[in-house]
Amino acid sequence: MADPDLVDYAVDYARTKGASYAEARYEQHRQQSFILKNGVLDALYSGEDRGIGVRVLAKGSLGFAATNTLTKPEVRATVDDAVKIARASVRKNPIVFAREEAAVTDWSVPEAKPLADVSIEEKIQEIRHVDDQVLSLGYKVPARFFLMSENRITKYFANSEGSRIRSYSPRLRFYHFLTVAHNGGVEQSHRDFGWSGGWEGIRAWDLTERVLAEARSMQRSLTEGKKSPEGKMDLVVGPHVSGIAAHESCGHPTEADRILGREASQAGKSFITPESLGTRVGSEVVNVVDDPTVEHAIAFYRYDDEGVRARRRYMYKEGRIHEFLQNRETAAAFGTQSNGASRAVNYNVEAIVRMSNTFVEPADHSLEELLEGVKYGVYMKSFMEWNIDDMRYNAKYAGREAYLIENGEITHPVRDTVIELTTPAFWSAVDAVGKDLEFEGGFCGKSDPGQALDASLGGPSMRLRNVYLR
Amino acid sequence: MEDIAERIVNLATKLGCEDAIADVIANRSYQIRFARNEPVISNRWRETSASVFLVYDRRVVASDIKDLSKVEEAVEGLVKVAKASQRNPEYAGIAKSPFKYDRVRPDPKILRLEDGSDYVEAAVAGALEEGAKECAGSFWKYEDEHRLVTSNGAVGRDHRASLYLSIRALTSPVSSGHGVACATKLSQFNPSKAGHKAGRIASLAKAPKPGQAGRYTVVLDHLIFGALISQLAARASAFAVLAGLSPLGRKVGRRIASEALTVVEDGSADSIGGRRFDHEGVPTRRKVLVQKGVLKTYLHNTSTAKRFKTRTTGNAGLISPEPHAVFVGPGDWSRDEIFSEVKDGLWLTNTWYTRFQSYVTGDMSTIPRDGIFRIRKGEIAEAWKDIRVTDNLLRLLKNIVALSDKAEQVMWWGEVEVAHHVPYALIKDVSITRSAE
Repeated sequence: MADPDLVDYAVDYARTKGASYAEARYEQHRQQSFILKNGVLDALYSGEDRGIGVRVLAKGSLGFAATNTLTKPEVRATVDDAVKIARASVRKNPIVFAREEAAVTDWSVPEAKPLADVSIEEKIQEIRHVDDQVLSLGYKVPARFFLMSENRITKYFANSEGSRIRSYSPRLRFYHFLTVAHNGGVEQSHRDFGWSGGWEGIRAWDLTERVLAEARSMQRSLTEGKKSPEGKMDLVVGPHVSGIAAHESCGHPTEADRILGREASQAGKSFITPESLGTRVGSEVVNVVDDPTVEHAIAFYRYDDEGVRARRRYMYKEGRIHEFLQNRETAAAFGTQSNGASRAVNYNVEAIVRMSNTFVEPADHSLEELLEGVKYGVYMKSFMEWNIDDMRYNAKYAGREAYLIENGEITHPVRDTVIELTTPAFWSAVDAVGKDLEFEGGFCGKSDPGQALDASLGGPSMRLRNVYLR
Repeated sequence: MEDIAERIVNLATKLGCEDAIADVIANRSYQIRFARNEPVISNRWRETSASVFLVYDRRVVASDIKDLSKVEEAVEGLVKVAKASQRNPEYAGIAKSPFKYDRVRPDPKILRLEDGSDYVEAAVAGALEEGAKECAGSFWKYEDEHRLVTSNGAVGRDHRASLYLSIRALTSPVSSGHGVACATKLSQFNPSKAGHKAGRIASLAKAPKPGQAGRYTVVLDHLIFGALISQLAARASAFAVLAGLSPLGRKVGRRIASEALTVVEDGSADSIGGRRFDHEGVPTRRKVLVQKGVLKTYLHNTSTAKRFKTRTTGNAGLISPEPHAVFVGPGDWSRDEIFSEVKDGLWLTNTWYTRFQSYVTGDMSTIPRDGIFRIRKGEIAEAWKDIRVTDNLLRLLKNIVALSDKAEQVMWWGEVEVAHHVPYALIKDVSITRSAE
């Protein structure tokens, strides 16, 4: 029996077992990755992961079961499991889903140069070239760690309301972690690159130049960097910092399941409440969106894992909380519609509310214009250490590449710049937004069992006025 | 499952691989997630797969084969991939048997457990009795069977089963506590105790005030001390040291912590992280990582051990060495004596988001969550919120003053990823920062 038939069978069989709603999701992940560590190809991973996950609503409770044995008896047993454990759950408040139109469609991400057509030798050679170029700089680089990975994801989703969606999504990733040392000092940096599409992504990234620029800036920090100034002053942040702030202090707190407390034990809750829509949290120039339809961004999709069509969502619009990220379960609780934010990392876990490509919407300032307006301050181009509390209110970003700004000009590198601000303090201080939108191809962690999911973190440079740095 | 591992290894050997490992794993785990005091979803898994490691002409390839009806095709494909790959000059083989494994059997009562609802209810009831208004968490029955075969003669079977419950209790949106229960025997599983602990901390944490930056003497409860030791254990992997992801480079034989700290890694002990053998088939065993503050070894597989001119510690993962279960040697202070020692300090109960500015130096920060308390003269003076520990991993370990005389087993989402058995810790001069408004 072909896999789509098994998926359809799972949905139909679940209904006969008494599920008021059923969905089944087949996923096949063809993965390849390798680590080049200090010039040595450590290990190459190549695998094909596939299976079917079944989620049912029975007696107002949710049950989910998954199998990778794709036979009719096994899928039948999996459905039996899902229905049985759903029925065993006793809830005072039955779970309901917001109504959505059924969708029957196929979508795929085009590959100019299909990942499957590129030999492993070529892929290794590409990264070895990056490594060689880093070494050719002549710096002391005691640890060089490169991870190249790809995942070609095929899905088939069906539910008891008639949705039937097929998709193909190839994804390419590169991660580097560098350690540069000089005269007893050490600088470390890690960056993530992500691409939905084929091998052409490697050229779009301009990989070698980007890694070399990072290494050069690390060396310069070590040789020319001075202690970062402390106190209240203006700050210009680069796309790397805008992106993490958009993800951590806009995306996460507007996840509806977090607001409702469904993730309270692990990923935490939110400083935002159901009544917070319209509340000011930033200046009028702040617009933060989550958009699965950004072409080539690592978290691109047309339909989510509940079969709902994807669209752009404004979480913060003109500085006010504008929209929450919703799946069908949370949308029903809020009396609204899903906005297509339901995703799972693989067939064997439930889909929950997730960000996709989250970014500060660019405006029209050049970086030079942002800097020109600063008499004395810091330009934090990128960060290394970061964290935020489980209410998404107290965030810290520690600078990796940063410079002193004097009279609108960058003068010299500074080290150990730290922003430790509340979410409203950060976003309210933004007075100008640049046009140099960039994305980092990161991961987002949530749920139990943990789902580390592809996510873009993006934004342009931004200027913040009179914030406390230390 | 019986013969799949053998088939994989035999075929790989026949195709010219000098080393091959197959670990066929049947996962039969079951979970209930709960929030707002009731279940939100129940999950069950029926998965069987083979975790495979092959070496062809020193070219190392790893994989997970999920379609076990096409094992031959998958192995042939992997050997082709290996041939196209590049040699790893640092690869030094896998361990050679004969090995003898301890007889460890899972608790049949856990294996028979079909429904965890009663345990969720017991945990939630415990928290509500302490005054909590809202509870969320997860109940897990972990069960997996392993059949491991290597081309160096190791043949092992391991059936692992354990119970775990994590509960967070809230008395208000900013007042919470966390508790966990871990057991390898049903009779030892106590979710009610975890619920009571979470609820009690949440009740004590009512009306927290914004904390103040400074340097404090701090009592670390089990979850946050477990998170700190978890960082130490992860950074002790030889892989982390070689990749620049550790402050422990060139520190074996040197003092990295206070004399009060002794840390043992032991996958063979009774623990929810327990296992009979590592990924190379090496029997797990007790080894001292830190003895009275001195780093004794890194965690090794056969290849990293050769690099460091030592023997494998039985910590091989599929690619890199990893801890299985970590035990901190208890001190000789009672819990009350630890608190009494704090004239003016803090009690931190949990944390998350531990991140490093430099892995080599150990500069890091982590954000306490759940109950945060100002302690004066050994008593809770007030609850705090909105603070961050901004310090250095090795400095924190060197500033340990005392450990309590009883350890608890903890594991927690994201921060304590394998079982840790830890006491309360008293640490002096901890740097606390907070956000500017």
